[in-house]
This record gives sequence, structure tokens and C-alpha cells, in this order.
Amino acid sequence: MFSPEIPRRDRVLGASANRRQFLAGTAALSAGTLLPGLSRLAPRTQHVILVAFAGGVRTRETFGTPANIPNLARLAKEGVVYHRARTANLGHFGASLSIFTGIAEARGIRENSRGEDPTVFEYARKELGLAPSDVWIATSGGAQQANYASSIHPDYGARYAANTLDGDGIFNQEFKRLLDAYGRPKEMEARERELLDRLRGAIGGQRSAEDVARSANDAKIENYILDELTRGTVDLRGTGAADAKALRVARNLLSIFRPKLLGVVLRDADVAHGNFNAYQEVIRRNDAMLGELIAAVQDDPELAESTAIFVLPEFGRDADLNSRRGLDHGDGSDDINYVSIAAWGPDFQRGVVSNNEVRTIDVAATIGTLMDFQGRYVRGKKLPKLFA
Amino acid sequence: MRSLLLASTLVLLPLAASPWVQGDDVPERTAAEPADALEARRLRALYIDLFGRPPTLEERARWLGKGAAELLDVALGEPEFWRNWLTEELYFLLLIDNFRPTSERVLALPERLAAGELGVRDALVYVALSASFDRRNPGPDTFVTVVLEQFRGENVQASPKNLAVGKKLYDGTPARFLGQMGRTQADVVRLALGDRHALEVLLARAHRRLLDTEPERRALGDWARRLERDPLAFGGIVREWLLSSAYQARLETRRTLPNHAFVRALFVDLTDRAPSDVEVDRIRGAMDGLADATPLRSVFARLLVDSGQAVLPKKAAIDDPTAWVAGLFERLLGRSATKDELRTFVTTFHEEACRPATILLALVTHPDYATW
Repeated sequence: MFSPEIPRRDRVLGASANRRQFLAGTAALSAGTLLPGLSRLAPRTQHVILVAFAGGVRTRETFGTPANIPNLARLAKEGVVYHRARTANLGHFGASLSIFTGIAEARGIRENSRGEDPTVFEYARKELGLAPSDVWIATSGGAQQANYASSIHPDYGARYAANTLDGDGIFNQEFKRLLDAYGRPKEMEARERELLDRLRGAIGGQRSAEDVARSANDAKIENYILDELTRGTVDLRGTGAADAKALRVARNLLSIFRPKLLGVVLRDADVAHGNFNAYQEVIRRNDAMLGELIAAVQDDPELAESTAIFVLPEFGRDADLNSRRGLDHGDGSDDINYVSIAAWGPDFQRGVVSNNEVRTIDVAATIGTLMDFQGRYVRGKKLPKLFA
Repeated sequence: MRSLLLASTLVLLPLAASPWVQGDDVPERTAAEPADALEARRLRALYIDLFGRPPTLEERARWLGKGAAELLDVALGEPEFWRNWLTEELYFLLLIDNFRPTSERVLALPERLAAGELGVRDALVYVALSASFDRRNPGPDTFVTVVLEQFRGENVQASPKNLAVGKKLYDGTPARFLGQMGRTQADVVRLALGDRHALEVLLARAHRRLLDTEPERRALGDWARRLERDPLAFGGIVREWLLSSAYQARLETRRTLPNHAFVRALFVDLTDRAPSDVEVDRIRGAMDGLADATPLRSVFARLLVDSGQAVLPKKAAIDDPTAWVAGLFERLLGRSATKDELRTFVTTFHEEACRPATILLALVTHPDYATW
């Protein structure tokens, strides 16, 4: 179904892109500061979707059991799949964050604070001058995952953060019922809205242009949230509902905001600690929801030929079941330390299966190459044999 | 550097009459300073630090102009103070939403802490031995890692030995863990929380929460020794912190309210009542789902104002708009309005399209309101 014929017409780069290419190339030669492995710029990709299929997912239950992942398997078949992607058990939070920063960094399992290294979202926003509405993350893990939005790095940080929405945190029945109990906010007359803006602008002196832009972005998000509450996302229930909501939110964000960079972070597979069957159920459901997201790309003529998709877990799980017939993640086996990366997009090769060893942190470097931003602190390298 | 400076200039205020300072726990005074009268800013900040919410109108009327020490002596004996401490600790452990402990033993902790029946360390042992903590941190690797990271500040990747031994205990194998023998999952918790180092980690966390600075090493050691000697000393230590010059210094800058405190503040400021835990959790959970919760904070402020539950006078009943607006600035932002602010607000108030709700919304949806 999502097997579009990708037209091979040449892409005409705008003047700014050409200039950026030139500058990037010059900088690479003179300073050697570009992403390692950056040798060419992708000519067609305009949107990137990065799905952290996280919560600890072994290749055995994904590509090793194709019936669990029909959509992901087809995506891989039409793109490139790496079955030996090295990662580390840095805790779910740290290992997922590493995918976004391109640096393997240990973080506490329950640590609830921003990282120190910039994420791909910050690189993209700062270096490409992207607006807040161009960069989004849909999550399923609540408060902790909001920390993926940005780092505390002094050169990047909150000013270049991604908009982050947790599907289950916001779009749940309890919250909807609570809002329904209070009633919807009344539409404000235009004149009153003007007065409100004037009053808010008067508090604490002049507002900066950045503040004004942020207010406009906030207003868009306000409307989006209120609209999304009336869509079906709220009604997703059962095992893996939080992940399903993250993927549904991502799909809806894609059609409304058409972001340049969209991250999705899942986590429900961690139910595996106590229930292997539920773990497989989560994988199957996530694959189905991923199918929706992919279809949204495929069904849109512009997105279909300009969107790249990456899907990878943050790490795997133990080789053997625990005493509760679940799967923990702490045995140091290859099952936990190696995962699979699927990459699909108009600039990538098709039907390539690679068993070369790569790293999950290489995805950040590869996105830098695709989107044409430098990743000063990224330690990964561009994925090999990916580009057509 | 700044924290060292602040700690070294700590000024202790009169303590002897307080029920929170007993016997040889009375520290030597380094300087005497009269207790500060509570003005708008300090009263609002102290209430948020103590109870996780600003004062109601009645509480405000009661405490404005009174001494901070007097407020603290009352507050530290209230279950609401300990409930707020527990809420912060549960949030730190991410025991929220579906993982919020529901056992009687944990729910009873604030009352027992207020009654002096147990101390903060024992309270955390109860929390870590709850079914919710176990469900939140399933399996030996996750459980022991979280205990070591959260209660002891360890980096298990850098020094994995304690993790390896802790996992043995979790699985029922006797082993020497943190210098003592243990053999059960419960022993992992008891031993991890059982020494002075765990108390230092606990106190440093509370210090950061209240004073926004890292404690000075030596002072931290002293406080931990006091808490080790007297398990009920935590309230007295908090009292000292909140009466110190370091706390005064902390009030010179504004910090962003965490979502749960923002929700409580909004309820109290708009409806003059504290929300239930269920109300807070649902709204907080939604706000936590956004890296920048501003849009949802704004939505919820509009909802509350328009719900008919907000305590708002009719426009015609406001005889002195200048005084009304000035009062709102003091109450909601904890500061006086500037002349320019007052002029703009009062001029706008007189416009036909401006409702009292418009004024209120402008204040509670402004970024300054979301700070304390």
C-alpha cells in the first residue's frame, strides 16, 4: 500500500540551500567541524520523522518475527535496515536521549531533567532557522520525556526547543471529562482579545520579538489541543494505549503543522518486565499505528516524495525470560546491546539489508546530513550504505 | 561558588521558642536579626514552598505583617506541609499518575509525620517498599538502579558493583551490600536509605528545592548528623533554612513554578479554594505532557475564569479600579504594580469591552505569574 513510485526528477535547490551547501562544504574543508561522514547533501528530503520505538525492544520480536511488524517490515524492505546497531543499556531515558543527541550518555532511570548536550531538534531549529512549529516531538512517557525537547546547553537550549506533546498525558478521558466539567473557554470578542494583549504586554515592560513569536506559537498549540480533544485520540485504550496515542498525535501533527523534523518516543514495550505476551501485543499495536503514520506520509503527494523515516529502539532486552515469564534488561547480552534500525526515504537505497556494525547514535549524524545542519557535538557517524 | 557564599553568610533568627528546635539542637547563633514581617512576596513564596500553593484570601489576611517564624511554627505542624513534602518526593521518584501509591500506609504518612510518629527517612522506606514503587520499577535491574540513583545519587554505570550486589539481594541471595549483610528486596531499600550518606542526599534535594542552591558540604554533613541523631529533626532544619539570609537571597530571583504548584496556585487565586489531589493530578499530568506548558496553562486559566467558579466582582461593584488592580498585582504576582502598569490597566479597565475577567486573565496568563 505504501509503496509509492518515487519520481526521480532532479530537485532544484533554492539559492539559500545552494549557499548553505557551499558554506557547509567550505567549512568542512577548512575547519573539519562538520558531522563525521558528511560527504554530500541530500537533495530531496524536506521532512524527517524519527521514531524511537523505545521501551526496550529486541530484534527477535520485530524483524525476527515479521508477523509482529508487517508495516515496519515493508518500510524496511523499501529502504535500508541495519540489524547490528550497537547501543547500550543506559536506562530508557538515557538511551533514548542518546538517539537524539548522537552521544551515548548515561542518565538516571528516573532522572527528570534536561540533558547537557544539544538534540537534533535544537541543531535543526538553530542552524536552519526553523520556527517552533517546524519541530515537534510526540511522546508517551509523561513528564520525563518532555526533557527530550531541548538541552541546557548554553548555545542551544530552550530557545531552540521542539514543541513536545505527550499523547496520553493530554488526550485522556479523565482530562477531557475534567475540561468538559468546566466547559470550554468562551470565544473572546476581537476587541477584548486586543485589550487582553495590551494588558499582558504592559506587564513587566516591553515584550521582545521572540516573546511575540512565542505567543503566536502558543495560540496555535492552544487551538490544536482543544481540537485534538474532540478527535479519536482520547478514545484509544488498552495495552499500549500511550504509545498508540503518541503515534496518532504524530500523524495528526504531520497533517496540521507539516513539521520539518518530527520525533516520536514510545515506551510501552517495557511492560515486558512482567508480561511477555503484553510486550508482543504492544509491538504489534505500535506497528499498526506506525502503519497509520506511514500511510499519512504516503497519501500526501508532497510528503510522499520528501519525507524520510527512521525507526529504532533505544536498546533491546535480556536473552532469557525472568522468573515471572517476563523480560528484563540487564544481562549484557547481544539481545540487549544490538537493535535494528530501519531507514526509508526518497534519498535512500531500497531493499538493502546491512549486517555491518553501526550505532544508534549514528542516526543523529545522518539526520544532520539529510537536513543540512552541523552537529557540533554529535559523536555518531553518517549511516553507511544508506544514500542512493 | 554562590552557594558557598550564601551558606557561609547564613544568619539564624530567633529559634529557642520554636517547637521545631529542641534541646541541644539549638544551633549557635551567628548573628541576631529581627524576624521579618511577612509582606506580599515573602508570604506567597513561603506558602508555595511550605504547602505547594499560595494563601487563600483568609490566610492572607491572617498572616500579612506577622512574623515568618510564627507562620513556620504553625505550618510545620500541619499535615498539609508534610503532604506537600511527600508529593514532592513522590514526584522526584516519578510515582505519579497510575503509579501514585494508594496503600493506607503511604497515605497515612503526612499525618504521622506531622504527629512526630516517624521521620522523613522512615517515610521514604515506606514509599520504596510500597507496591507502587515496585510496579514502577519492575525487575532487579531497574529496582536496584533506581534505589541507588534516587536515594543515594549513585551513577550505576560508572560503578556497577553496588548494582550487581543489590540485584543478588533482590533475588534472595545473601550478600554484603553497602557494608552490611542483607538478603531481600526490602533489605536493598533499608540498607540504601540506612546511612548518613542517604540522609545527605535527601537533605541536599530538599535544600535545592527550597533554596535553589547546592548546600555547602560541611553544613550538609552537620544537618545529616542532626537528622541521624534525631529522626524528627527535618522540620527544624527546614525552619532554619526558610528563616535564613540564604532564603532571602533566593527570593531576589523568581523561579518557574512546577506544573503541580501552578495548578494549585491557579485554583486558590481564582476560586479561593485548594483543589483536590485528583483535580491537580489530572491537570498536572496534561501539563507535564508539554515541554513548555504555557499553552495549556493558558487554556486552563481561561476555563476556570469562564467556569463561573472564579471569585470575581461585577465591574459596576468596583468603586476604586486603581486599588483593585493594585491589590491584584500584590496578591497574584507578589509585587506592587509599577506606575506604567497601573496606568495601562486602569485605562483599559474603563473600556467597555474590558471585563474584570479580562484583567484577571492578563495577570494569570502572564509568564510572571508562573514564577515564585
